[in-house]
Amino acid sequence: MTSIFPSPEWLNDLHNNLNSDSKYGEVARKWEGDISLIIESDVRFRDTVILYLDLWHGRSRAVEYVVHPDQKPAAFVISAPFSNWLRILQGDLNPVQAMATMKLKVRGNMAYIMRNVPTVLDFTRVAQETPHHL
Amino acid sequence: MLQPILKVDLTTRTIREGPVPRDWVRDYFGAASLAARMLYEHLTLDLDPLSPEAPLLFLNGPLTGTAGPAVGRFVICAKSPATGLWGEANIGGFWGPELRRAGFDGLWITGAAEAPVYLWIRDGRAGLHPADHLWGATTYGAQSVIQQELGETGTRVASIGPAGENRVPFALILCDHGRVAGRTGMGAVMGSKNLKAVAVKGSGEVPLVDWAAYKPARSAANRALRDHNQSVVLRDLGTASGAEYFDYLGELPKKYFQSGVMGPGYHASGCTVSETILVGVSACHGCVIACGRVVDLGDGRGRRKGAEYETMAGFGPNLMIEDIAAVTRLGERCDELGLDSISASNVIGLAFKFYEEGRITPADTGGLPLKWGDPEAAAACVEAAAVRKGFGRFLALGARGFGRYFGAEEAAVQVNGLEAAYHDPRGASGMALSYATSPRGACHNQSDFFFVDVLGQTVDGLGLTFHSRHAGAEKARDVAIHQNWRSVNNALVLCILAEVPPDSILRLLNAALGIDETLPGLLLAGERAWNIKRVINHRLGLTGMNDRLPQAFLEPMPDGGSAGFTPDFTGMLSAYYQARGWDPTNGRPAPEKLASLGLEWALPDP
Repeated sequence: MTSIFPSPEWLNDLHNNLNSDSKYGEVARKWEGDISLIIESDVRFRDTVILYLDLWHGRSRAVEYVVHPDQKPAAFVISAPFSNWLRILQGDLNPVQAMATMKLKVRGNMAYIMRNVPTVLDFTRVAQETPHHL
Repeated sequence: MLQPILKVDLTTRTIREGPVPRDWVRDYFGAASLAARMLYEHLTLDLDPLSPEAPLLFLNGPLTGTAGPAVGRFVICAKSPATGLWGEANIGGFWGPELRRAGFDGLWITGAAEAPVYLWIRDGRAGLHPADHLWGATTYGAQSVIQQELGETGTRVASIGPAGENRVPFALILCDHGRVAGRTGMGAVMGSKNLKAVAVKGSGEVPLVDWAAYKPARSAANRALRDHNQSVVLRDLGTASGAEYFDYLGELPKKYFQSGVMGPGYHASGCTVSETILVGVSACHGCVIACGRVVDLGDGRGRRKGAEYETMAGFGPNLMIEDIAAVTRLGERCDELGLDSISASNVIGLAFKFYEEGRITPADTGGLPLKWGDPEAAAACVEAAAVRKGFGRFLALGARGFGRYFGAEEAAVQVNGLEAAYHDPRGASGMALSYATSPRGACHNQSDFFFVDVLGQTVDGLGLTFHSRHAGAEKARDVAIHQNWRSVNNALVLCILAEVPPDSILRLLNAALGIDETLPGLLLAGERAWNIKRVINHRLGLTGMNDRLPQAFLEPMPDGGSAGFTPDFTGMLSAYYQARGWDPTNGRPAPEKLASLGLEWALPDP
C-alpha cells in the first residue's frame, strides 16, 4: 500500500514507520526537536506544503500536514523544491550533501544537526522505506 | 593589475623594486601560479632550500585585499626544505592586503642577513631593522614587540617562531590572529635567512582596473556567500563543522590512521567547541564567513584562537586525546613556536605508534613515555621539536625522516616528505590522487576532493560528475579538473572554504584585471599552473615513482564507516595520467600537452 508524496496519508505512514523502526529508535534516542519540511512548488508540484513532525527521543510524537502558506514554527525548518525532496526520497541525493550544496536550505541549530548526522541519515532511510507514489 | 614586487637581498642589504611581467599576469593571474612562473628558472636540483641563494617569494593575487568573497589571502613559495620539491603555503589574515596598500604585491627575498633582522615596509619604502632581541621569541611575541617598536597602529607582521629559526622543515610563518602559512616549511626558509619577520603598513588604495564593474559583482558575491549553508555552518561551527560527519563515514582518521572509531560519546568537533569553549569568531580581511574560532579555556588567559579542523583532528583523534582544551593548547603552542600543526601532530602520532610497538623506547625519548591520549607527552614533543633538543632532534626530521631514522619509513603517513592531512582516502577515495599527485606532497589544499566525495560539491560549471565516495578510476578525470580549479583559487587567492560560483569569480577577476576571461580559459590557466609545478618538480628530481600513497592508506581500516575499503590506487593513477595527458611510464607531461598550455618552452629537462 503506497501513498502519494506528499500527502497527509504518506506523512502518517512515515509517522508510523518511525515509531515501529527499532533502529531509528536507537539511533535517534537523543534527538530532541520538531522539524518542518517545506516542500516548495516547482515544475512537478504546484503547491507549497509543510510536513511537520514532532520528533523526540527516537519517537514521532505528532505530525501535521500543513497547506497554509505560512511556515509552521519548528526548531528546524528545512526547505527545498519538490524535485530535490524527491531525489532524496529516491536515494539519489544524500541529505547532508544536499545541505552542503544548498539543495536544502536549513534554519535552526546547525551544530545540533551536524552533531546528529546519523539521526538525519537514519530518518532519511525510514522516509525512503515508506512507500510512495506521485 | 599587480603592483611591483620588492627584491630584497639580505646579504648585501639592498632593496629595490622589480616589475611583474604583464604577460605572466595574463597567463597565471597571480599568487601561487605566478610564483611558479617567477621561480621556474631559479629552482634547481642542486639548490639547497636553506642556502642564501634560495629565493623566498611572498606574492599577492589580483583579488587580494579587494574585500571580495574570502580573498584576503596571499601565498609564500620557495623550494621546500621538507620535500625538496615545490613549496607553497597560502595564508589569510590582513598582511597581504596591507602589503597591497603599501604599494607592493610581493617580496622576492634572497641572501642571508649577518645577524637577525626584520623587514619594515611603509608606503613605498622599506628597510631592515635589527632583530637580535627577537631571536628566540614566539611568533606572537615578535609580532607584539615589533608593533610596539614601530608605533604605527594597524601594522601587520608576518613572523617565524623558534622552529623557523632552528630550520625545522615543517616550520610555519604566522601573521595576525594566528593565520598561518603552515605547509612545506616556508618558516625554515625564512629562518635560514636570519629574517625574523616582515612588518607592513600601507595607506594607499588597492589597485583594480574596473571598480565600477567590480563593486556590484563583489556585493552580490559576498551576499550569496554569506547566506550559503556552508558559510553559515562554518561561521557557527568553524572548519571542524564536518567532523562528526567525517567521523561517521570513517574519513576522519584516529590513532595515527590505524582506526576508524575512537569510542562512544567522544567528539573532537566544531560542535563540541561551540557548545563548550567558544566565545566568539574571527575573520580574515573582508571575509563574510568568519570561520575563525575564539575560545576561552577558563584558565585566566582569556580569549584566544581555537583549533581549526586539521589541528583538532591531529592533536585529538590522531593522538587519541579527548580533552578539547588540551587540543586547543597544543595547537596554540604550535602557532607560538612556529610549527605546522598537521606535520607536528603527524610525526608525534608516528612516535606514539613506534613507542607502542617497542620500536622506540624511553632510551630514545629521554625517558618520556609516549602513550595514546596523553596531552602532556604530546606537549613535550612539540616543545622539543621546535628547538631540536633531545628527542626533538628526531621529531624535527618530519615523519619521513623520523620513520627512516628508526628503520620504518614506510610507516610514516606522508608523501614525498609532506605529512598527510586528516582526510583519509579510505573514506573519500579521491583523496588518494589528491595526496599522491599534489605538487607539494600529501596536501589537502591543492585539491580538497573530500568536499566532492562526501559533501557532493561538484561545483556547477566545471563538468564534475558525482561518484560514490569509494569509486575508483572513474573519478580520476574529475580529480584533475578539481586540481586545476583549486589552482585558480590559489592564484587569485580565494579561500577554498568559500563556495563562490565560477561565474561570480569570472566577473570579479575580469573587473580586477580588465580582461575578458572565460570559464574554459580560467580552467586552462589552472591546468597550466598545475603542469608548470609538475615540470619544476621533475627538475627537482620527482619521477612517476613519487606518485604514491603511504602504506597505511593501502590497508583496510579495521572498523568505522569505511572498514574494509582501500582505494584502487593503481587503476586511479593510470586513469589520472591519461586524463592529464602525461606519459604513462614516468608521469611527465607530454610535449604536446605542454604546447597546448603555452608551455612548450618548459619541456622537461632530459
